[in-house]
Amino acid sequence: MASLAEDDQGQGASRIQNPEADDKKKKNSNMAPTSGNSIHRSSSRPQLDVSKAEIQGNFEEKHPTILLPNQSDDISHLALDLGGSLIKLVYFSRHENQSANDKRKKSMKERLGISNVNRRSYPILGGRLHFVKFETNKINECLDFIYSKQLHCGGLESHYSDNVADRNAIIKATGGGAYKFADLFKERLGVSIEKEDEMACLVSGANFLLKAIRHEAFTHMEGQKEFVQIDPNDLFPYLLVNIGSGVSMLKVDGDGKFERVSGTNVGGGTYWGLGRLLTKCKSFDELLELTQKGDNRAIDMLVGDIYGGMDYSKIGLSASTIASSFGKAISEKKELEDYRPEDISLSLLRMISYNIGQISYLNALRFGLKRIFFGGFFIRGHAYTMDTISFAVQFWSKGTAQAMFLRHEGFLGAFGAFMSYEKHGLDDLMVHQLVERFPMGAPYTGGKIHGPPLGDLNEKISWMEKFLQKGTEITAPVPMIPPGTTGLGGFEVPLSKGSTLRPDASALNVGVLHLVPTLEVFPLLADPKMYEPNTIDLSDHNELEYWFTILSEHLPDLVDKAVASEGGTDDAKRRGDAFARAFSAHLARLMEEPAAYGKLGLANLLEMREECLREFQFVDAYRSIKQRENEASLAVLPDLLMELDSMDEETRLLALIEGVLAANIFDWGSRACVDLYHQGTIIEIYRMSRNKMQRPWRVDNFDDFKERMLGTGDRKPTPHRRALLFVDNSGADVVLGMLPLARELLRRGTEVVLVANSLPALNDVTAIELPDIVAEAAKHCDILRRAAEAGDLLVDAMISPSNSSKESSTSVPLMVVENGCGSPCIDLRQVSSELAAAAKDADLIILEGMGRALHTNLNARFNCDALKLAMVKNQRLAEKLVKGKIYDCICKYEPAN
Amino acid sequence: MDLRDAEAERNMEPNHSECIYHMAVDIGGSLTKLVYFTKNNDHSDDESEAGVSCPVLKGRLNFKKFETSKIYDCLEFIKSMKLHLGGSQQQDGLERQITAIKATGGGAYKYADLFKERLGISLKKEDEMDCLVAGADFLLKVVRQEAFTYMDDQKQFVQIDQNDLHPYLLVNIGSGVGMYKVDGDGKFERVSGTSIGGGTFWGLGKLLTKCESFDDLLEQSSRGNNRAIDMLVGDIYGGMDYSKIGLSSTIIASSFGKVISDNKDLEDYKPEDIARSLLRMISNNIGQIAYLNALLFGLKRIFFAGFFIRSHPFTMDTLSAAVDFWSKGEAKAMFLKHEGFLGAMGAFMSSDKHGLQELLVKQQQNPNNMLCCD
Repeated sequence: MASLAEDDQGQGASRIQNPEADDKKKKNSNMAPTSGNSIHRSSSRPQLDVSKAEIQGNFEEKHPTILLPNQSDDISHLALDLGGSLIKLVYFSRHENQSANDKRKKSMKERLGISNVNRRSYPILGGRLHFVKFETNKINECLDFIYSKQLHCGGLESHYSDNVADRNAIIKATGGGAYKFADLFKERLGVSIEKEDEMACLVSGANFLLKAIRHEAFTHMEGQKEFVQIDPNDLFPYLLVNIGSGVSMLKVDGDGKFERVSGTNVGGGTYWGLGRLLTKCKSFDELLELTQKGDNRAIDMLVGDIYGGMDYSKIGLSASTIASSFGKAISEKKELEDYRPEDISLSLLRMISYNIGQISYLNALRFGLKRIFFGGFFIRGHAYTMDTISFAVQFWSKGTAQAMFLRHEGFLGAFGAFMSYEKHGLDDLMVHQLVERFPMGAPYTGGKIHGPPLGDLNEKISWMEKFLQKGTEITAPVPMIPPGTTGLGGFEVPLSKGSTLRPDASALNVGVLHLVPTLEVFPLLADPKMYEPNTIDLSDHNELEYWFTILSEHLPDLVDKAVASEGGTDDAKRRGDAFARAFSAHLARLMEEPAAYGKLGLANLLEMREECLREFQFVDAYRSIKQRENEASLAVLPDLLMELDSMDEETRLLALIEGVLAANIFDWGSRACVDLYHQGTIIEIYRMSRNKMQRPWRVDNFDDFKERMLGTGDRKPTPHRRALLFVDNSGADVVLGMLPLARELLRRGTEVVLVANSLPALNDVTAIELPDIVAEAAKHCDILRRAAEAGDLLVDAMISPSNSSKESSTSVPLMVVENGCGSPCIDLRQVSSELAAAAKDADLIILEGMGRALHTNLNARFNCDALKLAMVKNQRLAEKLVKGKIYDCICKYEPAN
Repeated sequence: MDLRDAEAERNMEPNHSECIYHMAVDIGGSLTKLVYFTKNNDHSDDESEAGVSCPVLKGRLNFKKFETSKIYDCLEFIKSMKLHLGGSQQQDGLERQITAIKATGGGAYKYADLFKERLGISLKKEDEMDCLVAGADFLLKVVRQEAFTYMDDQKQFVQIDQNDLHPYLLVNIGSGVGMYKVDGDGKFERVSGTSIGGGTFWGLGKLLTKCESFDDLLEQSSRGNNRAIDMLVGDIYGGMDYSKIGLSSTIIASSFGKVISDNKDLEDYKPEDIARSLLRMISNNIGQIAYLNALLFGLKRIFFAGFFIRSHPFTMDTLSAAVDFWSKGEAKAMFLKHEGFLGAMGAFMSSDKHGLQELLVKQQQNPNNMLCCD
């Protein structure tokens, strides 16, 4: 997961070269070329070079890996949807599969028996999917963008080796402009456009996104957005309503299986066409914007207008129901000029949205389709449009059906075109292998990229600085008149919530999709489908505000630390400023529209901060602090171990758990604890903290845990086979808390796997740092040393094995695996394949610390024994989660079912 | 209908009841429709310029329309015909002030005071939907050649067996559109509707073309060409059909969609082209929603009625084409000759003192007893 540290703009891709690919080249043997067998749908560029292809590994395997040593890495990089008003680009960039501790990983893989678990006929390549929009009338910007990124000739990697575009280069495209601009692309970029069927693209794009992205679909009622998690196995059949100029309704039965069942000629073109004639608006967005201040009562004939202000209750029509769109324009002696364009635009929008909703519902009903997804340019994330469509569906279905929308709605076609490449490698991609990131630009421009592509971080910061002024304006809420009860076409009024609903308030930001093929669902989750990592739901506005305040207050200190960690140079300061702005902008955006980036939980927010630091190349803001605390803690460890060893088994177990809880007080993520640090040395605080531990704790299942460990009376239970210890902070937390506990388990013959972050997050210890810490600790402890040797940890720590290595066979191993993430919390649906493999033999999980055991996973259930240990270092969290107070302790033990 | 039918005649004896509701009114958002009964002998034909009258029971049912905005014309007419004084219906020749008539339509509330003040008549409000359905049911049962199809300028009457009339879908296109599933006498349900109806046509048309009247707008539409305004399938696919999904190049992909790419102002478009596009947009849409509803409820017949149609051939053509297109030829749109008067007729029927019920019974006994129009 080190790849996450790269900047999204793709400059990282120039470094390329997958070490595994190199390996394969070396290993290739002589297998007969099979080029004659390859089937191509078209002569498009991503031709497979199958010369010297070989099947790797076991031939009996169902999907053996086929090595294509001569196939260059230029997997299909770019696809386009050239629409009438917008050009949508989807492109893929490889990122290097770097692994800093490759050696350790390799030995881990061998130990855990991982061998190409994830391999497919076309292996999924790690990389990123980028989504970019341009206005069609600024097609030159689009061409420049493609050229500068060399997307038309296979991305940056070939840029340096071969600057001449392949004569036969082909780009897949869909949309009406695919014909219109074909010559332009040929002329400017020397590539041919290959036109893909629009509907087919739409459907394959929608299918992929709905299956691969956890929170792709959402409902939108009365200004409220709610994400709907769709089971990929229960997606079909559904109705896909694409609202472009006209409207197409497609019944989708499966991948590539769909039928156009209906449609209507009253669509986006009608809205924009009629709107233009009636209001003189110059753009679609301008027309849409007008609706915010409109009141359709001036134009539509309402039931109340006919029945003298009364409802027509017999058939359930209220007075505010629209009886006739534009019906009031009949009776009044008014000219076009006498009507407000705002009112006209709103009447039009409602008329068309309701109509589409109604016809869609009728068709869904007719074909027995449970779900209706709406997409297409007419929607544009416009809250009111979605509300009216939803309302129509709700109204006509009497609440039995719901309209759903897609976060990537504008990109379905482009994505489908991308999927039409024969070798896109995304076929079997699973939800858990995608991670969405929101690099800078997203909070300002709704996911769009304007202007020239950004070559490096420097350019990005410059762009941000320039953009900031404008961005602030855009982000600032525009006051507006509440829509009021403005009637409807056989429909009640969808209540738009609040008076600050902006036209783009619901514009969903689309991030960069990181493809991380090595991510897996943690195998020990009892019910992965029901699993929800977050315990704090930020859709509660008070909660949101609280955490935003916490993060905002912490920001200046974090920037100082980050800048200091980079030597405090001018460059670091500039980056620090940019980080602060970017993160504040994200916060402001989310404060205003919590669902802007998808479903928002506390874990997402905390992770975003880390991602944002990495975006501005702050590799590890707490590096020096971590180092200092590790050293100080390691210095006092021998004394602590001696003290522990003097206790009897039962006392020791309690002392160890107390120690874990006490040491968890050392946390730079907690304001309260940072203040404590000024009061004493590490060991003093640790001892004070441990002495204060008084059972019963707020949640106290210690006795159950003790019984499982030590048994009762004479009955001695079998020790656990393997324990996974999810560690938290550097310093005392891991050294004085978790290491002694690990040591105890090792002594009992339980294999121990320390699970740590792949990337830094606050002062959390990382998987890369752990071997050194263990090695240092092992100098004074035989148990740890032998276990570490057995787990090959000392090799990684660059410490030559001691002469007593012969004994190592007698110890169970102590291992370290990375968890696959770079956040203070952990989402167990997306963990490293290493961890997943390590989990297979585990029968005990210990989650330690607030991030992993409280903010997330407190309620998670596992298929094995699980112990959750944490000190609650936040008053509000204590109240919220355990009805307790700050510094309360949690010792939650849940035996396997 | 045998006008000399003894029983029916007896039933029509004025002495039989003190007050015969011989007039009913349907006051809609844009049009007011009047149905009134006159005896054969006392009516000069010049009064029936409103078009349709049927000989009933030694008399005639007269149908007349007024623009609601000119409601005073209607009041004047009633006055001049002395309808508020019971016309010349009373056998003794004495004029008797009528105190109440049946009325329906939204305006029955709005104009109640006006009728009271000007004519001394209270409007007894009847439910609009009840009237509509009762009117349609009655007309479809007793009037010969009431229903017809209209395709490619060909009008074709459909003989409907009154015992096999139900269930059907009745689409009433007024300012808005109501869709009713009719299962039998007085048994019906509003199953759907749309706000895109006659009011939308006329309202948008007025804003876009400056036409002075609905009829003017309709007339314009018959001379227009929607290709100048609508985006056709052929416009998108370079003149080709999108045969993959069975769309021919002349199908409208997006109503008013061509306006987007033209750099023209409203004034640059011909009003007749705009009227044509509007009419097609609205007719198509109504036809589609009606067909989908008929399909969902398993209804074989769809009758379109309401003032929007006004026997306008092009409107009927587009509605028929829409139903034909969406049903792939399986369903047919049907129209009613008295399309504008269903509500008024129903209001008329809502009194049990009009004697027409008898007619239904008779007609049921002998299906040949159909009313004929003049």
